Amino acid sequence: MPDPVEEKLKQIALRVTRKQEADFSGDTTFEDLEADSMDRVQILVSLEEEFDIEIPDEEVAEINDMKTFVDYVKTKIARKEGSAGE
Amino acid sequence: MSNMPRVVITGLGVVSPLGSTLDEFWHKLTSGTSAIGKITHFDAEKFPVKVAAEVKDFDPVNYMKMKRADRTGRCSQFAIAATRMAADHARLDMSVEEPERIGVVVGTSGMPELLAEQANIIERKGPNRVDPLVVSKYRASMVPAHVGLEVGAKGINTSINSACNSGNDSLGNAYNLLRLGYADLILAGGAGANITPLAIAATGRIGALSREEDPDKACRPFDLNRSGFVYGEGAAMLVLETLEHAQNRRSEILAEITGAGWSFDAVSETSPGMAERARAMSLALRDAGISPGDVDYINAHGTGTKLNDVSETRAIKSVFGTGAYSLPVSSIKSMIGHLGCAAGSVEAVAVVMSILNSTIPPTINYQTPDPECDLDYVPNVSRRQSLDVCLSNSFGLGGQNCSLIFRRFKQNGT
Repeated sequence: MPDPVEEKLKQIALRVTRKQEADFSGDTTFEDLEADSMDRVQILVSLEEEFDIEIPDEEVAEINDMKTFVDYVKTKIARKEGSAGE
Repeated sequence: MSNMPRVVITGLGVVSPLGSTLDEFWHKLTSGTSAIGKITHFDAEKFPVKVAAEVKDFDPVNYMKMKRADRTGRCSQFAIAATRMAADHARLDMSVEEPERIGVVVGTSGMPELLAEQANIIERKGPNRVDPLVVSKYRASMVPAHVGLEVGAKGINTSINSACNSGNDSLGNAYNLLRLGYADLILAGGAGANITPLAIAATGRIGALSREEDPDKACRPFDLNRSGFVYGEGAAMLVLETLEHAQNRRSEILAEITGAGWSFDAVSETSPGMAERARAMSLALRDAGISPGDVDYINAHGTGTKLNDVSETRAIKSVFGTGAYSLPVSSIKSMIGHLGCAAGSVEAVAVVMSILNSTIPPTINYQTPDPECDLDYVPNVSRRQSLDVCLSNSFGLGGQNCSLIFRRFKQNGT
């Protein structure tokens, strides 16, 4: 079963960068997708909206591959759910 | 100013409610076709204004890459499309041009309506959720920027806003930039996409828009029963270049701009100033080095508001005297509505086509003469007439006026 966070990131990244499904995998980088800074910020805002999380620009500035990015988003979601249960 | 370079027009591009090719636009314009219909861009049920002239079937990806289309507002998309068509028409090959000598000047207000939506998002969701593309989409300055990015033009790049005068203002400024040597070629024109709830509500609230629900009666410039203007949308871009540059690249020269005149009413935000409109026309004639009797046709601002049409008629009579009565004056806004910042540039395209085809487009929906508007408005049917010199008026809400002189191109000038 596909990972839901990865699926959503894939969907958003491909929509924003206008790339094809075959262009995306865990190893794919923003450079591979030819994503410039405007694309990156659109992807961040869409993810924030989708998962109701906050993604500070500086925390993801160094992230380049999709797998690391998915892990980062999952951590954010877990932290939000954890704090909601407190 | 006879030692300045001559400025010629070598390409025309238009996205209009009558069609988004030059041929379709011109054919429908001269056959007296109206593009005004019920508003479909949004639900206008609760609005006192029900009609507009919308651009139909416009697909931006026919003119630009999908990512550019994603990052631009409808206004920039119209400008890019019109620029592509104008550049093709002029056979402009950027690979052999010096990009630093090619400029872009667009009369536009951008899409300020988009800010209202984002203000709402900030209110509801916080500042981080604002659309990252809004700056790229709403700003007037981004319209010429997107055009410059698409074309690769690295010369002067600017937007001009003087309300409904912007289209003429941009062409007049581009004409002067070329005369003064700041560029060899300028892509100049105007773009507007303001058939939006905010624009219709705001302009309607001050009583400028027609509340007539029958699209065939809504826009009636110079008619006794005129009831206000009707919003249109679209863009027109023209390739302007110095005569020397045009001849060096063996361009087909369509027409020449020979004069521009500007004035400001300094009377009222909304009421037009007759004397200053007349002054803009006189200054344009003087700049062109011609007298009123040399003008063959006036493409009027002719919005269809009570105040504009009387004021413009009086201004024409004050400049042209008794000669005004034998001078054809028409308003294409009767067919395409008022394209706001794009109006003057679309009208410039119509004027150049009028000169090339010896045909004056009509003022349609003209039924009942107004004793205060007593000129020859070329009612309802286009007219065949050879045209050498044409004057085109644009006046902005606020009081900005600009008149331009267009001439049939002759190698030896006048």
